[in-house]
Amino acid sequence: MIDRQHVRNFSIIAHIDHGKSTLADRFIQICGGLSEREMEEQVLDSMDLERERGITIKAQSVSLEYKARNGETYQLNLIDTPGHVDFSYEVSRSLAACEGALLVVDAAQGVEAQSVANCYTAIEQGLEVMPVLNKIDLPAAEPERVIHEIEEIIGIEAGDAVRVSAKTGEGVVDLLESLINKIPAPEGNPGASLRALIVDSWFDNYVGVISLVRVVDGRLGRREKIRIMSTGRNFQVEKLGVFSPKPVGRDFLQAGDVGFVIAGIKDIEGAPVGDTITRADQPVSEPLPGFMMVQPRVFAGLFPVSSDDYENLREALQKLRLNDAALHYEPETSTALGFGFRCGFLGMLHMEIVQERLEREYDLDLITTAPTVIYEVLTALGETLQIDNPASLPPANQIEEIREPIIEANILVPQDYLGAVITLCVEKRGVQKNMQYLGSQVSLSYELPMSEIVLDFFDRLKSVSRGYASFDYHFVRFQAAPLVKLDILINTERVDALSVIVHRDVAQSRGRALAAKMKELIPRQMYEVAIQAAIGSQIIARTNVKAMRKNVTAKCYGGDVTRKRKLLEKQKAGKKRMKQFGKVEIPQAAFLAVLRVDND
Amino acid sequence: MFHFTAPPPLSLYVHIPWCVRKCPYCDFNSHELCGAIPEQAYVDALIADLEQDLPRVWGRTVETVFIGGGTPSLFSPAAISRLLSELRARLPLKPAAEITLEANPGTVDQERFRGFREAGINRLSIGIQSFERSLLQRIGRIHDDREALGAVRAAQQAGFDNINLDLMFSLPGQTLDQALEDLHTALDLRPAHISWYELTIEPNTWFHRHPPERPSDELSWNMHEQGRRTLAAGGYTRYEVSAYSRGQNLCRHNLNYWRFGDYLGIGAGAHAKITDAGQQSVTRITKTRHPRAYLEQAADRCRIASENRLDANDVTLEFALNALRLDHGFSVEEFCAATGLPFSATAKPVNAALEQGLLQNNNGNIGTTARGQRYLNEVLQYWLTDTQAHARTGKP
Repeated sequence: MIDRQHVRNFSIIAHIDHGKSTLADRFIQICGGLSEREMEEQVLDSMDLERERGITIKAQSVSLEYKARNGETYQLNLIDTPGHVDFSYEVSRSLAACEGALLVVDAAQGVEAQSVANCYTAIEQGLEVMPVLNKIDLPAAEPERVIHEIEEIIGIEAGDAVRVSAKTGEGVVDLLESLINKIPAPEGNPGASLRALIVDSWFDNYVGVISLVRVVDGRLGRREKIRIMSTGRNFQVEKLGVFSPKPVGRDFLQAGDVGFVIAGIKDIEGAPVGDTITRADQPVSEPLPGFMMVQPRVFAGLFPVSSDDYENLREALQKLRLNDAALHYEPETSTALGFGFRCGFLGMLHMEIVQERLEREYDLDLITTAPTVIYEVLTALGETLQIDNPASLPPANQIEEIREPIIEANILVPQDYLGAVITLCVEKRGVQKNMQYLGSQVSLSYELPMSEIVLDFFDRLKSVSRGYASFDYHFVRFQAAPLVKLDILINTERVDALSVIVHRDVAQSRGRALAAKMKELIPRQMYEVAIQAAIGSQIIARTNVKAMRKNVTAKCYGGDVTRKRKLLEKQKAGKKRMKQFGKVEIPQAAFLAVLRVDND
Repeated sequence: MFHFTAPPPLSLYVHIPWCVRKCPYCDFNSHELCGAIPEQAYVDALIADLEQDLPRVWGRTVETVFIGGGTPSLFSPAAISRLLSELRARLPLKPAAEITLEANPGTVDQERFRGFREAGINRLSIGIQSFERSLLQRIGRIHDDREALGAVRAAQQAGFDNINLDLMFSLPGQTLDQALEDLHTALDLRPAHISWYELTIEPNTWFHRHPPERPSDELSWNMHEQGRRTLAAGGYTRYEVSAYSRGQNLCRHNLNYWRFGDYLGIGAGAHAKITDAGQQSVTRITKTRHPRAYLEQAADRCRIASENRLDANDVTLEFALNALRLDHGFSVEEFCAATGLPFSATAKPVNAALEQGLLQNNNGNIGTTARGQRYLNEVLQYWLTDTQAHARTGKP
């Protein structure tokens, strides 16, 4: 057993693509955690989807033994962090388990907003942040400029940043040496009562919930009775150990250690991320700081294209939920789309990931409604309602006030694109809070309605800055605004799944644009389709899709029906993503039309 | 699954796969001719092919014969004559069976037609497509307007009274007047039958790769509506999506397809559909497509490119796909006799389409309404079950 002075707990902070996973793989290789044969590329990102998108969704961790140049052996606990704006809470919990963090910056691309936000979180929590320049083997690498940028933007000393190439392995051993010197050993009292932080939890079909924990104080042993502090429920530890990266059983974990615990917990809510584990027989009075229940912020309806798939969708959501405490869902009935689920997500990326997994892993064809944020509605009767679905907004005369969620966005943008980004923020009803020139980049801080972020802010930001702007956001408060519900009527009937809540000032233009977009997206069919946009009973825009003139195959001779069948099947396949609304077939794209009206 | 008391009526299709030139819209199995046609060898191959197929239709009478292509009129009357006598020697042909030959202007004259008539052909289908010179050029036909007219007159003078003219509309650059003018010219010739169909751009054609400028949907619809009226006023009754007859001169061979009858198919790429009342099965067969390969393989099993047994879903879909093309539609008895299935097998889609006003029930005859006719492909969607849709995408 390695003594506490030889333990180092650290995370890697990096923007997507800046090489976090490759670097982690190098560490594992150097420390001999896996044999060559076992060394599958990028061990830490284990889900297919993560590997494809280069995003870590669930934090994972690895404990490695490193024999340093001074002849002593150190235990390096690398705690992985999710790499996206939607998962900032999970990031903060991962960082809370560490004494230090490596800030990995692409030496060619420079600092990005995502890294800045995570870096500040690390500094706030008192971590030692070590800048690392990666990809120095690239011809486009500009280490001097990037060092300057780190110092200007993040405000930490970067002159002695270690220069590495995770890809070639250059400088990686130097980095490990520097790490054991700079990052302090964990503190904490092994003799005190047990306090362990739950860094991550996931569900395993055989053993139930596995939690990754950082023991802060005390000692956690096998067969001991533990208590999850937020729920007050007790469990018995069945198995614990460390990931090397293969799981290796231990008899106990003590203050400073990072490892896994299995305690017969049957569902993921039984061991929430950020919660504190203590001993059932000698509980501490105060949990570790920073715990909160994660709140979904973005909502959308998911409906099976075929109503026969409803139960399959429910089962699939149940299974995803086992591993994803942030995913919320409850049954929703739409007059247009039938039975489905209203799902809550942390953000847009989280939503996309869930959708993609449902379609890919569970083979479901889904219709998704436009994502919306949660609104607070004060009714005339003085009640406060939480509205996560525009269709369930009460009639205007029963509403005293609608409050929308406001977020603070931190944007980093090269000076050349500053004007375009400011124009975008103003268009999105943003209020500037701060602006700072940092070398060639500008750091902007804006308060923006979250509904605008959910629409298309991220895509627009990328396009007006040619991909150079990066941003990060967090929820600030609910704030009253003059909001109205915009309805879409198809053949004079309101389609509940197409309603959106918009600011009164843009309602007219949004309504016209939405009707025009719908006209573009709804294909010609057997009947003329009338499209209207309305606020309350007032029609603000109308258009129509003309009926197609005919749809019949002219020629069918020679006894060959296979070609004709193929044609019909192709047509049927085209209808797969359409939902019948009365006599009208509405394609999936139309339900997301609101996301696209501003783009053209 | 099936319960046939007797197989449906039987036809014979003979495919001649050569053309002088491949038309840019044609996706049939036709091949440009280089050198002389191996007439003798091909007739031998057809007969060898037929002999292999005979056990499938033992004892059944053939109601109609259709020699299609390609351009069958490229074959000499002598070759057609030998073909027909060899067929008659092996298959009982119904007395007065309809025997059609496809002919293209530019490959025929009066003497040739007389020869075909003497050989036993009693119906001609002439591929006119248009009487407008510029349009004919644009769609790659080898003939001009004069040859088109000449071919029809030559056929009539040779003694043919049962003639079909194939005409197309919605041709690249065609005006409404031109489309109607084509019909008037055809009407003046008083053929027994007119097949008048909209040009469709099929995959695997030159037009698909190089799409020509087409009349708008609007214009094409006007051509269709006014053309129908013109044909009706001229005494031609529509009985199928694109088929119009003067009096009772319906094409019996095509009717057999549309009524889901059986047919043997011999020749390169020919299709067959055969019911076996003993085995209680329905089978589709296709023959080797390429003429050269077919010539080599006609006498052995290799001539068969594919052979598939249909299940009840296939049969109900394919029945609807054919029978609903007919204005008359089908009766319950006709469905049961042709498919060997109880009417309940097709009741669900029928009822759904009835409910939507796309089909109507006229004293037990189920056929399309005017609307259903117009959107027949939409109507047929009711017959595409989810299991069929899933089978295609590979889902369970």
